[in-house]
Amino acid sequence: MAHPLPAGFWRVFRRELRRIQARPNLAFMLGPFPLFLMLLLSAVFSAGLPRNLSVAVVDNDGTSLSRQAIRMVDATPDVTVTLQLANLAEGKQAIIRGDVYAVILFPENMERDLLSARQPEVVTFYNNQLLTIGGIVSRATRQALSTFSAGVSVRVLTSNGLTQEAALEAIRPIPLQQSPLFNPALDYTQFLLAALMPTVLLIFISAGAALNVARDLQQHNGARNLVRLGGSALPALAGKLTPYLLAFLLTLIFGDAILFGYFDAPFQGSMLLHVAYSLLFIASSLCLGAFIATVAGDTVAALGMTGVMTGPAFGFAGISFPRIMMNNFAWAWGGFLPLIPYLQLRVDQVLRGTPIETSLPTLGWLALQMLVYGGLALLLLKRKASRPEPSKEAAT
Amino acid sequence: MKMFVLAMMDALKRLFANKGARMTMVVSILIYACLYPQPYRGEVVRDVPIVAVDQDGSTASREFLRRIHNSDSVDIIATVDGLPVAEAMFFDRQAYGVVIVPPSFEHDLLKGQNAPVAVYGDGGYFLIYGAFVAAANNAAQSLGAEIRQQRLTSAGLDTDTAQTLISPINQTSVALFNPQGGFGSYVVPAAFVLILQQTLLMGIAIMHAGQPARPGIQRVATPVAYILLYLVWIVVTQLALPAIYGIPWIGNLWTLFAVAVPFLIAVNAMGFALTHLIRNRESVVFFLVVQGMPLFFIAGVAWPMESIPWWIAWAAHIVPSTSAIDAFLRVDQMGASVQDVLSTIRLQLALAVGYWCIAYVLHDRQFPKGQGNHLKPADTQAP
Repeated sequence: MAHPLPAGFWRVFRRELRRIQARPNLAFMLGPFPLFLMLLLSAVFSAGLPRNLSVAVVDNDGTSLSRQAIRMVDATPDVTVTLQLANLAEGKQAIIRGDVYAVILFPENMERDLLSARQPEVVTFYNNQLLTIGGIVSRATRQALSTFSAGVSVRVLTSNGLTQEAALEAIRPIPLQQSPLFNPALDYTQFLLAALMPTVLLIFISAGAALNVARDLQQHNGARNLVRLGGSALPALAGKLTPYLLAFLLTLIFGDAILFGYFDAPFQGSMLLHVAYSLLFIASSLCLGAFIATVAGDTVAALGMTGVMTGPAFGFAGISFPRIMMNNFAWAWGGFLPLIPYLQLRVDQVLRGTPIETSLPTLGWLALQMLVYGGLALLLLKRKASRPEPSKEAAT
Repeated sequence: MKMFVLAMMDALKRLFANKGARMTMVVSILIYACLYPQPYRGEVVRDVPIVAVDQDGSTASREFLRRIHNSDSVDIIATVDGLPVAEAMFFDRQAYGVVIVPPSFEHDLLKGQNAPVAVYGDGGYFLIYGAFVAAANNAAQSLGAEIRQQRLTSAGLDTDTAQTLISPINQTSVALFNPQGGFGSYVVPAAFVLILQQTLLMGIAIMHAGQPARPGIQRVATPVAYILLYLVWIVVTQLALPAIYGIPWIGNLWTLFAVAVPFLIAVNAMGFALTHLIRNRESVVFFLVVQGMPLFFIAGVAWPMESIPWWIAWAAHIVPSTSAIDAFLRVDQMGASVQDVLSTIRLQLALAVGYWCIAYVLHDRQFPKGQGNHLKPADTQAP
């Protein structure tokens, strides 16, 4: 009974399972906790694109015409007119306080100027500090006011003697068919969520591996014992990390289930490839964590370094600010993070339906990360194992 | 008073002597300060490579494409024959958008018929897609307006009247704050509020998880010392970083402190409460490391608070950063006064009181009175 299994992969694997069992605290943080955070993020974005964002109006005209314009702004789904203010100073204050995201100023004598063809100016002041929201609000008000303006044009033209059809034709713009090919409803929420869940998971996976490998290493002769139980470094590390690979694979499947099941996200590409890069992503992230642990040596430092490395990963992924606009350093740094090739492959296969050949180099990039991080971790582990530590009273 | 200062010095000395705490509360913040803003240095999207398919090959279609190419945000890197070629370039990520001009574009345009132009792109990369569509839209509008003007003048109207008929009102959009629309200016100041909160919580966990409170005056001096240290970081991240990275700053230093001090008190209190809730320090650190991203997305900056389900928005406010990120942004980047952010200051103070009570009660339960200070720390290190 003392050694039910010979030294090797399974011995370390079994030992790791027992260790996880022995610490329910940790088991919770590796299993249910990431699931909970994924559900939380899904709930945050469940309402879809922001609607009914508050805007204020300063109506210095106060005619039926300006009121009509205000009604048209209010009628757009994106914004709602929640405040009527007396002047612009109040409007600015309302933006600073966060009561509204924009203020629309209708000038004095707008109706009169409009009818006498003097092109009155309507100004929208929007909060650009909140870039995404400011963009939605300014776009929505501009569209509503353009529609209003076109209506006025038609009215003036027909009153000048043109027929309704001729008037409509005269003001018709060049129509633009927008086809966000790969994200049909321009459902930015779905896309964002599909990128955020792996980002959170990257941090979990790397931190999980870093913590657990470092826990071995910080014990007296820990690296030596680990390698001895595994027979050699490779089966030892593989046995150690495989339980986490399986656990996080379940988490990733759970995330995909939310996206494809609940949010009904379309899937365009190759399922086989999807499974392959999902597994590689977890493996690369685990190897990254293991590598960090072998460099850091103790748990707290390993977790801290993982945080520094993976915490800002989302910014480098190019989902928010595009990678092609980054400086060389940021572009290269992103190349070291498993998240970046993974998300690129995800966009390729899930959204675009990219031909498999086109995606293969990216798959190779992800595999290379795994080999490099895994290789470095093995090398450092071997080095540590080959040097017996002088006995100390206790591990720190 | 002198005792108190000495106790504070002592607390800082212990912090700097602890490798983990030093790494977290000093070194990692400096690394973040260098690393985090890097992806956003470009600030705005420029010259996005797109590819055109010109099925018309007319003067009008070339003029239309020229206008798109001349925009700041988009560059037409190639005009190709047929959609398959364009698509291949798109899949290869040589191009990030495709614009297709239909065969009878000029003909339809001159006859006043619909001449729809198609634009294809990745709707999910919203900055690229938005820039691309805006460039195409502007080109279509300016070209369309000229053609309409020609039509109206040839129908006998004078130029000015034609002009006002095409756009009877002048529309102007003015960006208040962040006039450049810089992405870094939007994300970086907000993110550093969260980074400071997380590192402070981690540092407290590393120093104090599972430990009894410091004896005597040190019990108060230690958090005060942390607050002073982090006030330095507030100045570095909220003042120096914007200056270095060219992020607009129009705040007032005293207003900044009026928000920062209650925020740091609340975070300290939360940190000490956490050390009693999760007594194993690596567990607390792990717990904190994985939370950064979700906390950022429920702070109402990346995603409007109104669009987040009310129960999440409500629950999120028990974390100091949720309301603090917004308040820092308003003070630093929008010039808000104390009056404007008073509700956040009040909330931070309420959180501080709440968390101190929790920390106090949990501490006394964990370390019953009379033996607290010389009790052997039971589980700071798991075997």
